[in-house]
Amino acid sequence: MNRHSHPLLLAAIFAAVATAAQAQPTEIRVSYQPALYWALPFYVATEKGWWGELGLKPAFSTFPAGVPQIAASASKSWDVGGTGSVPAVLGAARYNLLTIGLTNDESAGNALVAAAPKADGYTKNPQSIKGETIVLTANSTGDYAVQSCLAKWGLKKADVTIKSMGQAEIISAMSSKNADLGGLWAPNIYTMEEKEGAKVICSGKDTGTVIPGALVVRADYAKEQPQNVAKFLAVYLRAWKWMNAHRPEAIVLMKKFYDLGGVSISQASMEKEFDTRPTFDLAGQLKIMKGGETSDVDKWMNQIAEFMKSTGTLPEPPQASRYVTDEYMRMVDSDPKLKEFANRSN
Amino acid sequence: MRNGWREPSRLAVGGSTLAAVVVLWYLATTFTQIIPPVYFPTPAEVLQAFRQITVQGYADGQLQQHFLHSCWLVLMGFAAAVGLGVPLGMLMGWSRRAEALINPVFLLLRPIPPLAWIPLAIVWLGLGDAAKVLVIWFAAFVPAVINSYAGVRSIEPYLIEAARSLGIRGAMLVREVLFPGALPLIFTGLRLSLQACWTTLVAAELIGAIVGLGHVLYQAGLDLFPAMIVVGMIGVAIAGGLMTTALGRLEAWSMPWHRR
Amino acid sequence: MRANVALRRREFVVLSCAGLAAFFAIWALASMLGTTARQFLPPPWVVAEKFVELTHEPFSGFTLQHHLLSSFARFGMGFTLAVLIGIPLGLILGWFRWLDVIVSPLLDALRFVAPIAWVPFAALWFGTGIGGPVLVIFTGAFPPCVINAYRGARYVDQHLIEAARTLGARHWQIISEVLLPASVPSIVAGLRVSAGLGWQSLVGAELIVASSGIGYVLVKGQASISTSIVMSGMIAIGIVGFAIDALLRRAEMHLQRRRGGDR
Repeated sequence: MNRHSHPLLLAAIFAAVATAAQAQPTEIRVSYQPALYWALPFYVATEKGWWGELGLKPAFSTFPAGVPQIAASASKSWDVGGTGSVPAVLGAARYNLLTIGLTNDESAGNALVAAAPKADGYTKNPQSIKGETIVLTANSTGDYAVQSCLAKWGLKKADVTIKSMGQAEIISAMSSKNADLGGLWAPNIYTMEEKEGAKVICSGKDTGTVIPGALVVRADYAKEQPQNVAKFLAVYLRAWKWMNAHRPEAIVLMKKFYDLGGVSISQASMEKEFDTRPTFDLAGQLKIMKGGETSDVDKWMNQIAEFMKSTGTLPEPPQASRYVTDEYMRMVDSDPKLKEFANRSN
Repeated sequence: MRNGWREPSRLAVGGSTLAAVVVLWYLATTFTQIIPPVYFPTPAEVLQAFRQITVQGYADGQLQQHFLHSCWLVLMGFAAAVGLGVPLGMLMGWSRRAEALINPVFLLLRPIPPLAWIPLAIVWLGLGDAAKVLVIWFAAFVPAVINSYAGVRSIEPYLIEAARSLGIRGAMLVREVLFPGALPLIFTGLRLSLQACWTTLVAAELIGAIVGLGHVLYQAGLDLFPAMIVVGMIGVAIAGGLMTTALGRLEAWSMPWHRR
Repeated sequence: MRANVALRRREFVVLSCAGLAAFFAIWALASMLGTTARQFLPPPWVVAEKFVELTHEPFSGFTLQHHLLSSFARFGMGFTLAVLIGIPLGLILGWFRWLDVIVSPLLDALRFVAPIAWVPFAALWFGTGIGGPVLVIFTGAFPPCVINAYRGARYVDQHLIEAARTLGARHWQIISEVLLPASVPSIVAGLRVSAGLGWQSLVGAELIVASSGIGYVLVKGQASISTSIVMSGMIAIGIVGFAIDALLRRAEMHLQRRRGGDR
C-alpha cells in the first residue's frame, strides 16, 4: 500500500461507517434469573461486547424464579431467555413458549440437601426419610430432582410431608434447624454446604434423571424475528465456548456476576459449577435435538411433563414435539457467518 | 341524587350489583373477549376450578379445609393482637407517662411491613402455625393499639371527673367509664385489624403452609392457574366478610346505647 | 391524681429515651443470652455496623440508598395513582347515593384480598414493566383514599350544600368546590393510612422484579443466611415509612392550624 490512501480502502471505510450508521442495533429483550450458572453467558457476552457484533442490543430483565418469569411472557415483556426446564414446560402449556436449545445439563445442580447432623443417617438409610418434612420450591427443577430421588428409594409423595416455599425461605428454615431436608438448586446448594455444613444426599444426576435448563422464545416473536433468535443463540453459544476455553477468566467474571445477584460462594464451588454441569456447543445442541420425537431433548422434556402431570400442575401436559424445535439452531448452523461466530472461542 | 334517593334494601342492591359484575365479566371475557382469557379467567373456568377444589381438592386439601384452617389462623392472630393491643392502647391513652415510654418503640416498629418479618419469623419460630400467627399479629396489632388509644383520648374529661367525684377508681373506672367510652373507636380499630389479618394471611402462608386459602393462592400462582387464584380471592373475601359481619353483631350487642 | 395531663418537656424526653433504651437493652440481652442462636438474632450494634456498611458497599449490585430509591420511585407512582383515582371516586360516591349503593359492596369484597395476592396477575398483565409493582402498591393504598374521601363528603354540613344549590351550583361544582374543601381533613387522614399501607405492600410488589429494591435486599439477605442484612433492610424500610408518615402528619397539622385560623 502506498502512502496515499488506497481508494478501495477508503471505500471500505466509508461503507463500514455507512452501515454502522444505518444498522441501528436491534433491541432484543432477554430474561433470566440472577446469579445462576446458565445465566453467566449473558453477562459474559455483555462484558465482551459480543451482542453488538451481531447488531443486537440486549435489554435484560431478571426474575427471582421461573414461574414469574414465564408469567411475564404473557404480556410480551421479554422475547427470549433462559429458564429451568420445569418452567419451560409450564410456559409451553400456558403461553406458547418454544424451547430452542438447552442452557446446560443441571442434573447435578438440583438436589435434595440435608442439614449436617442428620445427613449421614439419611445417606445410609434413605428409607428413614419416610415421614419427614421436605421443604422445596414447587414447580421447579429442584422439586423435580427431589421427586426423582424419592422415586429412586421407592418412596411415594404421600410418604413425606412437602412444604412449598421460595429458595430464600428454605435456606432460612434449614439454617435455623427448622427443617432437615430441602430441595435446592445451585448456587444455593453451595451456600448451605459452605455456611451450614449441609450435605447433598441425592442429586438429579444420582437418579439418572436428566434435568436440563432451557433456552426459550415467545412463539410470536420467533415467527416475526427468526434472524434475531438465531443471532441470540449464536451469542450464547460463543460465550460458552469462550468460558470453557478460558476458565480462570470466566471464574473472575462469575464472581462479579454472582456478587451482583447477592450470592457469594467459594472459588472451589465456582469450579464445581463448571465441573459438574455440562454445556452444549452448536454441534452438541444439534445432536441432542436431532430426530424430533425420538431426540434426547424431547425425551427429557416429556419426562418432566410426566412429572408435572403427577403433581397435578398440568392435567394434560403438552407433547415435547409441539414446543421443542431445533429450527433456530439449524439456522445458526446453515449461516456460515453465524456458525463461525458461535464456534469462536475467543 | 342525594335527596331524591330512597334507599332500597342494601342487600338487594348489593346482590344485584354483584350479579351485574358477573354478567359484565362474562361479556368481557367470554362473549366479546375484550379481555383475552390469558389475562383473566372466564366465569366458566372459575366455576370449573371451584368444582375441582371442592371435589378433588387442590393444593393438598379441599376448599372447606383451606377455609377453616385460614379462619383459625386469622382468629389466633386477631385474638393475640386484640388481647395485647387494646390494653396497651388504652394504657397509652390514659397515661401520658406510659405513652412517652412506649410510643417511640411503637413508632419504630410500626412502619415495618408484616411481610418483612417473614425471614425472622422462620428462623425464630420455624415453619409451624406459630410463625404465621406472629406475622398476622404484627399486621393486626397496630390498628388495635392506635384506635384504643384514640378511643380513651376521645372521652370527655368531665365524664372522668364526674366518675372520680363519685369515688369510682381503679379497675372499676376502667370497666365503667374508660372501656365503654372508648368502645366505639376500639371497634373501628378491630374492624381494621381484622381486615389487616386477612390481607396478611397470604403472606403468612408463604411460610410453608400445608392447607389454607393463602396456600391455595400461592400454589395457584406457582401453577399459573388464574381461575384458581380468583377462587382463592373469592374465598378470602367471603371469609373476611363473614368475620366482619360477626364483629358488627358483637359491636351492636355490646353497645346497645350506640345503635345506629 | 390525674394521669392524663400533659407532661413537662423534660419528663417526656427522659421517658421516651428510657423506653427506647429498654427496647434495645432487651434486644441486646436476648441476643447475648443466646436463647435464640446469635446468628438469627444479632445484637443491635452488629446490625448497626452492617447497616452502615450497606450504605457504602454495594450488596446485590447496589448500595442500600440506591435500593431504597428504586423502591421509593415505585411507591411514589403507585401511591400517586391511588390518590388521583381514589379521592375523586370517594367524593363522587359520597355525593351520588345510588352509585355508592352499587359500588360499595364491590369495594368491601376487594378490601380483604391481600395486595400480594395480585402479584401473579400483576406479572401476567404488566410483566417486567413498572406497572406490576405499581399495581400491587395501588391495591394497598387505594381503599383508604376512597373510604376517607367518601366519609369526608358524607359528613359535610348540609347547610353548605343547600347554600350552594340555591346559588345554582351543578353536581361537579358542588363536588369540587364544596365537598372537596370540606373533606380535606378526612382526606389527609386517609392519605396517612394509605401511604402506610402502600409502603407496606412494597415488599410484596418487589417479589415480581428481582434486580433492585429494598424487598429484594431482604430476600437476598435471607438467601445468604445473613440476619443482619435482613434486619438492616427492615430498619431502612421502617425509617422511610416513618419519614413518609411524619411528612404527612406535618401537612395534616399545618392544615388544621390554617383552618383554625380561618374561622
